Amino acid sequence: MKRIRLSWLPAHVLAWGYAALLLIPVYYFLASAFKDNGAIFSSPLGLPTSLSPDNFTRAFDLGGLGNAVTNSALVTVGGLAVTLFLALPASFALARSTGRAARVMERAFSLGFLVPTFAALFPTFLLAAATGLFHTRTFMVLLLPATAMPLSVVLLTQFMRTVPPELEEAARMDGAGTLAVLRHIYAPISMPGIAAVVLLNFLNFWNEYLYSLIIIGPDPDQRTTQLALPTLVSTSGTDYGVLTAATVLTLLPVYVVYTVLQRRMQAALVSGAVKM
Amino acid sequence: MSTAPVLGTAPQSPAPSPPAARGGRAAGARGGRRAQGSTWLAVPALVWYVIFMVGPVLAIFVIASLHWPGMLQPRTFAGLDNYRTVLDDPVFWQAFRNTLTQLAIALPVMMVCAYMLAYYVAQRPPGHRVLRYLLFIPGLISTPAKAMFFYAALSPDGLVNGVLRDLGLGSLAKVWLADSGTALYAIIALDIWAGIGFTAVLIAARLGSVSDEIGEAAQLDGAGHWRSMWSIHFPIIRDYFGVATMLQFLWTLFGSAQHVLLLTQGGPGNASSTLSFLVYQRAFLQADLGYSQAVGVFLFVLGLAGMLLIRRAFRQNH
Repeated sequence: MKRIRLSWLPAHVLAWGYAALLLIPVYYFLASAFKDNGAIFSSPLGLPTSLSPDNFTRAFDLGGLGNAVTNSALVTVGGLAVTLFLALPASFALARSTGRAARVMERAFSLGFLVPTFAALFPTFLLAAATGLFHTRTFMVLLLPATAMPLSVVLLTQFMRTVPPELEEAARMDGAGTLAVLRHIYAPISMPGIAAVVLLNFLNFWNEYLYSLIIIGPDPDQRTTQLALPTLVSTSGTDYGVLTAATVLTLLPVYVVYTVLQRRMQAALVSGAVKM
Repeated sequence: MSTAPVLGTAPQSPAPSPPAARGGRAAGARGGRRAQGSTWLAVPALVWYVIFMVGPVLAIFVIASLHWPGMLQPRTFAGLDNYRTVLDDPVFWQAFRNTLTQLAIALPVMMVCAYMLAYYVAQRPPGHRVLRYLLFIPGLISTPAKAMFFYAALSPDGLVNGVLRDLGLGSLAKVWLADSGTALYAIIALDIWAGIGFTAVLIAARLGSVSDEIGEAAQLDGAGHWRSMWSIHFPIIRDYFGVATMLQFLWTLFGSAQHVLLLTQGGPGNASSTLSFLVYQRAFLQADLGYSQAVGVFLFVLGLAGMLLIRRAFRQNH
């Protein structure tokens, strides 16, 4: 085989060396989640001696992780529902219209990629205060879809453009209304696009940190896992076993989804970046 | 725009264009009166987007022109005073230098390594599927989780010092995150570590669509992989490389606030403070709102300028 040659040796070593650097944290977190501080300090990369779930149960107690996981799930699922509820009809309309208004709106959404939203943290905080939703996860359910709108609409519009107009005409002959056309023709055909939007936003929503920190704040009844995690670090002595166990728990859903839907997810993330 | 009940309007307009009439533009064919009438379906999404995203961004410019020494304090118009205060403040310049250092190191290292790694993966060497799976790991891990790993690795009793001691290099052990000589570089290391893999997967996907024949032709001409990588494949995906660079530029510039916040809080002193962290710190920790948003305006302008520059630098020259 021409691929495997001696001159490639440095490339193999470098590529797999970097891959090892990516794997070390995964291993370190998994192993440390079953150790106590002493074992973590004395042999950071050693195998754990027991598989006791103590750290996991303590992470649930100390960090209030049970609540936090529920909140994360609520915010993520709620945010995804609002995103699809807004983006599906919008891209349906933009894909079918040729009018000037539609062109202007599509342009507005694609310019959204250029808006550096990180900078708007403080004004967003004021908006949350003004709407009376400050310190609630509800505001995040409303805010996150807005951040997802440019990518979702642009991506879905491109998928909806591939729907052959004959299908809609046939359905219209049978007396189908506009929303029925969206539901029974456009949505099923755009399924790969919808899957990409859901996966991309699942990652973004589940992992969101800075906005949640400002908007939701420290209330254990409202905060998400990403907010609960750093609270386990303390200047007076961090219990690394508990910290790593909690980290493993927050990574679990993402890894499961990624492993099951690996090809789809890579395709989704790549298409997300390409549409910039 | 009509808000008549959409479901009821269907029967009155039969299919406007017989298939024979549908000539040149396919889009024109489907743009019947019905389609125009449903454009309003895009309005809720647009309104949502304007309220939660565009509005706050515009508000940055307004707040930057106010004297606003704290949430409950009265606001007065300040004109350009905040910008003057910012420009006279050595802390701002320190953060500015740190941001430039961060970009100047992280961006080239990340992008060159990512491109080479992507080229390697795109050649489909043994195990490339596993490699692709692994390279994606940083794209999955949330910012707090990444920071927790670096925190655990770099703390005094952490992984790095532990390994150094095991290797008999204990004298090199440091308090990495609290040492003014290394704190900023720890942040940069996090950027690079996380950035390479994700960008490599993006670029590898693009390289995958470059025809194999191009690479084979190059090899027949006697071009080694090094030349094939830089003078044959790179020009083809130059545009895409530019987009990926732009993405990483924005993430590094704006995202550093979270890394700094979680790892060093800008310390020791202001040794690892960056512009985006300064915006956060002044607004939420020191309640100097006009100052914070004036820095936000600088950050915004820097982001736009950098994006245009990168776009220009990597524009496809046919």
